[in-house]
Amino acid sequence: MKVTIKELTKKFGDFTAVDHVSAEFDDGKLIALLGPSGCGKTTMLNMLSGILPSTEGKIFFDDEDVTDLSADKRGVGLVFQNYALYPHMTVLENVCFPLRIRGVPKKERIEKAMKFINLVHIEDYLDRKPAELSGGQQQRVAITRALIKKPKLLLLDEPLSNLDAKLRVEMREEIRRIQKESGVTTIFVTHDQEEASSISDSIMLLKRGVQQQFGTVDDLCDNPVNLFTADFLGTPTINQVHGTWSEKGFVADGQTEIISFNVNIPTGTRLIYASRAEALKLNQDKQFEAEILEKYKVGKDTLVRLKYGNGSLRAYTEDKTIQIGDIVGVGMKDFGVFLFEAESGKRLL
Amino acid sequence: MSLQKRKKSIDADVKITYKTYLKPLLYLLPFIISISIFTIYPFFNAFVISLKENYKALSGSFTGFGFGNYEYVLTNETFILALKNTITYVLWVVPISTALSLLVAVLLNRRTKLQAFFQTAYFLPLVTSAIAIGLVWRWLFNFDYGLINFVLSRLGADAINWLNNPSYAKIALIVYGIWSMMPFTIILLLAGLQNINKQYLIAAQVDGSRPTQTFAYITVPLLAPTIGLTMIVNMITAFKVFNELFALFNGKPGPAYSLYTVIYFMYEQFYVKYRLGTAAASAIALFFIVMILTLIQLYMQRKWKNY
Repeated sequence: MKVTIKELTKKFGDFTAVDHVSAEFDDGKLIALLGPSGCGKTTMLNMLSGILPSTEGKIFFDDEDVTDLSADKRGVGLVFQNYALYPHMTVLENVCFPLRIRGVPKKERIEKAMKFINLVHIEDYLDRKPAELSGGQQQRVAITRALIKKPKLLLLDEPLSNLDAKLRVEMREEIRRIQKESGVTTIFVTHDQEEASSISDSIMLLKRGVQQQFGTVDDLCDNPVNLFTADFLGTPTINQVHGTWSEKGFVADGQTEIISFNVNIPTGTRLIYASRAEALKLNQDKQFEAEILEKYKVGKDTLVRLKYGNGSLRAYTEDKTIQIGDIVGVGMKDFGVFLFEAESGKRLL
Repeated sequence: MSLQKRKKSIDADVKITYKTYLKPLLYLLPFIISISIFTIYPFFNAFVISLKENYKALSGSFTGFGFGNYEYVLTNETFILALKNTITYVLWVVPISTALSLLVAVLLNRRTKLQAFFQTAYFLPLVTSAIAIGLVWRWLFNFDYGLINFVLSRLGADAINWLNNPSYAKIALIVYGIWSMMPFTIILLLAGLQNINKQYLIAAQVDGSRPTQTFAYITVPLLAPTIGLTMIVNMITAFKVFNELFALFNGKPGPAYSLYTVIYFMYEQFYVKYRLGTAAASAIALFFIVMILTLIQLYMQRKWKNY
């Protein structure tokens, strides 16, 4: 099912939690709502589920306007951050609950439940109470309970935040697998960009209730619309150096050399130069010089931190001879290098 | 390590002897003394008195120990009637007052503008004297001028002689009993309701559950431990019914002495007939009946709250 939101807004008194967000979420996709805490992503999820009424704007499921439909009539599956499994019911009873209240006979609902139970591998503890399950098991049960009523839309609220680091990686792949196998349009909320990038088809990035960018993971990484997006996505965090535009190019604060870019910017504009670590190359096509401050081994590569201007830059190199204190020439690849206006964060290159 | 620190660490794993308890015992002493004099001693003394035969309260004389008092009480027709009346009262009052209280508690739990008003209104009986309220109920049940008969006559029904017809008098007592039991039950149930995580109710709604289904499948099971507790407390209270009876029938056990309760029987043996032995025996008999029923109820409820 395709989900369309138009100018969706939520206000709590004077505070605007979600501010005129519009987007289309395509059928069968896994979409991440990403942003720092308090950016309105959970509020948006609650509006999609019908728990929270919207202040303004419209929500469409395919072509049907569901804005004023209450939660019990929207037919969405929702997995809560703390899973909210009914503590007095066994795993099987929890999973069957949505069918039970629809009046499905017991035998039939257990039959239906077993299909999903096999999909998420919880068959070994059907008679246990939620309190007797680990976080990962609880999460699987919660997902099963959400899936069993065949929702047209599955919503997950920070589904991995209650799990330990190892389980988190395991479960996010599990979510991806379950989503692919069931084919249900899924929207999940997270504040972890790595989690969002690793499993989602597309990401909507929010900041203080305002949509920053909506697109595929590659879109957001390779083509950020502003400094916030560039800064929020990618590991390690994008390099940033403050400076000024002087006719032909960018001059970092405290430096004299001009790094030339083929772009028209008024002279004297305050800028932030940003580049991904993997976009810099050492001792090739030199455009400026920098001093090596630190170096670390990361997998088969070496990650170095360079001092440049008032800031520092991270870069990868395969050259094992590089030592701390060396002055190296730095060149740039034709991707992952951006210029942002310092004041607004708007992208200029 | 400084001297002070060392002393502290020695204190922390000091060996526990009888002396360790001395200081805390001193603090607890006022409570222990008062509860010993006013609760524990009378309780055991009642046991002893119930076993003393031909016990005279003033002289303290008795002819010997035995089960004569129990024999008298358990074969006494008035006591059997009192027990029957009390059990009927408990069986009507406890379930109905719990159900009505649950209804009121659920309504109060919804945040409305009038919530504060209703809370006060429903809790008012708790802070008023049972005897004073009893007088009001007597007026409500009055044959000629009572509000209840007035409403009945407006509805086209015949006036009912509530307080003088034995079978209607029982209903009047039960109605008053239900009413007087509700406030405390509402407080307990409301506290229980407020302890239920709202997320379960929201989860049920998203699962497609209608409000009545959510109430039946989620709220009530999660409230079961509290409901069980109120049922036990209310059962014990209802078994001790006396004030309501005394107030409603002007100190008499109902019309034509038809509404004896166990406590009224005990009161009469003690205050009117000065038979301390049989009064104590009836109290102890009630104690065992209530204890056995409470244990059965506790055992049954263990199956409910296994999460």
